[in-house]
Amino acid sequence: MNDHPPPSNSRDFTNLDRRSFLKTGLGGALFLGTVSVTAGLSGCATQPAGRLSAVGTRMDASYQFRFLTADDIALFEALLPAMIGPGLPEQPQARNTAIAGTIERIDAGIHKFGPANQKELRRLFDLLNFGLTRVTVARVWSSWPNVTTAEADAFLERWRTSRIGLFNNGYIALTKISNVAFYGYRDFWHLSGYPGPPQYAVDALPQFQNA
Amino acid sequence: MSLTDRIARGLESGWNVTDSALLTQNLTTEADVIVIGTGAGGGTTAEILARSGLSVILVEEGRLYYQKDFKMDEQTSYANLYQEGMSRVTRDGAIAILQGRCVGGSTTVNWTSSFRTPAPTLNYWAEQFGLDELRPDAMAPWFDGREERHSMAPWQVDPNVNNDILRQGCEKLGYSWQIIPRNVKGCWNLGYCGVGCPTNAKQGALMTTIPGALDNNARLFHSLRADRLVMNQDQIDHLEASAFADDGVTPTGIKVNLKARHFVVAASAIGSPGLLLRSEIPDPNQRIGKRSFIHPVNATVAQMPQRVDPYYGAPQSIYSDEFNFRNGVDGPAGYKLEVPPLHPGMSSGVIPGHGENQINNMAGLPHMQSVIALLRDGFHPESPGGTVSLRDDGSPVLDYPVSDYLWKGIREAFHTMAEIQFAAGAEKVRLMHLDSDWYTNWADAKAAINQLPMAPHRVRLFTAHQMGGCAMGSNPQNSVVNGFGEHHHVGNLSVHDASIFPTSIGANPQLSVYALAARNSTRLAQRLS
Repeated sequence: MNDHPPPSNSRDFTNLDRRSFLKTGLGGALFLGTVSVTAGLSGCATQPAGRLSAVGTRMDASYQFRFLTADDIALFEALLPAMIGPGLPEQPQARNTAIAGTIERIDAGIHKFGPANQKELRRLFDLLNFGLTRVTVARVWSSWPNVTTAEADAFLERWRTSRIGLFNNGYIALTKISNVAFYGYRDFWHLSGYPGPPQYAVDALPQFQNA
Repeated sequence: MSLTDRIARGLESGWNVTDSALLTQNLTTEADVIVIGTGAGGGTTAEILARSGLSVILVEEGRLYYQKDFKMDEQTSYANLYQEGMSRVTRDGAIAILQGRCVGGSTTVNWTSSFRTPAPTLNYWAEQFGLDELRPDAMAPWFDGREERHSMAPWQVDPNVNNDILRQGCEKLGYSWQIIPRNVKGCWNLGYCGVGCPTNAKQGALMTTIPGALDNNARLFHSLRADRLVMNQDQIDHLEASAFADDGVTPTGIKVNLKARHFVVAASAIGSPGLLLRSEIPDPNQRIGKRSFIHPVNATVAQMPQRVDPYYGAPQSIYSDEFNFRNGVDGPAGYKLEVPPLHPGMSSGVIPGHGENQINNMAGLPHMQSVIALLRDGFHPESPGGTVSLRDDGSPVLDYPVSDYLWKGIREAFHTMAEIQFAAGAEKVRLMHLDSDWYTNWADAKAAINQLPMAPHRVRLFTAHQMGGCAMGSNPQNSVVNGFGEHHHVGNLSVHDASIFPTSIGANPQLSVYALAARNSTRLAQRLS
């Protein structure tokens, strides 16, 4: 099926023969399943973060988290600067607001994904948050709040270029939900030069008139 | 809200519509026919049966959204109008599945392309599956009728630049191209078909057959999921269904039982096999959920010197069938070429990337052009399709292994698409592939396409057309329903959606679904009256 190997910069997994990994694919899936349980037992946040206090967080205190846990939020706070890169505002407060808003929209999006895909994402986030698997599988040495943007970028790059489909899949899941929540939001349309819906239509259509 | 809106006016006039989120106690009711699903198949069926005087109940798992909700916004539309909030994928996650989940089904969010089932496909069905009664001549009157019902006609306005580049590239290279027929009436040419038509111009189920059915006393339950068809001896006795809250995803715990003489399943090529499997409908040859097809889609994007504004204008107006049947109906994989609209959310989600690369990709959006290839799967022994099965929680999931036969077609399609874009003047082209760079000339792109791995996840694959899984055929050994969508073993069960196609179509399937559903419903109405 795979005619040519992908570029050889997936150095981090050269010790993991692809064929043997695929053979143990089922074991891998079971392993991911056990992470969620273990993570719960070992004190990772496993409940949706709910309404976070505005003090000590940069979140809109009125937003009610439905899916993301406090650990997941820390994960995305670490990943988004690498994910969006120079698209984030530089001014610290604007930057924090952009990151916080994007994480809220990620949560709101995942709420609509339904139980099956939420379960998959829960496994992925637990794997990334649980210290042992964060180090051994994601090769991220620090806990997420201490991860630099360069380290977060290196992690994303490893999963993008890995020859292990499971990691590519994780990369796509993380980037897709982040990119859609960021670039799809009106405050950041200007970054893609998208002017928004044509103004003449907005002016003419009844659903845009204030009820 | 303006009462010129068809749905708002109907609701005002007293249509029998139940938002199941508002139900506070369990409910049992009945009708002559229960129709499960309100998309191309379910809407058509409900209208025809209701007009014939039968009492009809429509069941829709998604919610009723209409003009007041269609504000040309990607994020709310993807969250509310698409299956799994636009996160649906195949079991291994390698293929993204775009599918509607709302009243009107995928016809509420499709890009309005309206093709007849290609003649070679219908003839192949006749020869391979004993479906002689579906030959092109026999189907022609049904296509005529549905083209009129849904106002389908070749697009009269100039194509937008995104589509015109496909035309120009084909023209330069001597490849055939045609204008796409669209199901629109008074279209504003805005470009937001995929997020719910804001002007009510799109003549999908939501503006045609659903109002037609409701005007004829049909009852609609939305926000209600069909859980299980319950058999009593050799007949279906009733449908068990459960309600979702107004977020569309949280179960309220309210159960609805619907009894009827006849049950029509039109819940899509993933939902219908899922419902039949959950219901343990007799399936002696284990055909339910088998041979699922998806028109696997791969794509390239180009940076053009001119402004493209790929988010504006009718999203699909030009296509090329140059490579669709060129190797015969059952030779190496053929593909149809079309163009997708590119809005910022969708583009950033499907062009794989992050960080500085991604922002550079996105900054080029106003000059970006994209071509997609839709592979015609299911016509060759090495293209047996995928399988719909149930997860532990009873929800359906599609497993779709991509065969070497299809990878070969995908690589060829990459060649064709890049060649067309360079011929039309592209400055650079990249593949929707994790390892692709931007290539600045055709020779570099060609060399790269020959080298890049054609492998799951690395090639970004999509499907907007789900077909099969409850295949029709004359032989019960290898099919689920007969040529009229009637179940081979259960007398009061029919299937009226794309799940009955025994192969893919080789074109966007909405008109194929409308036409077959109209034909089969007309017969069913005669049977039941």
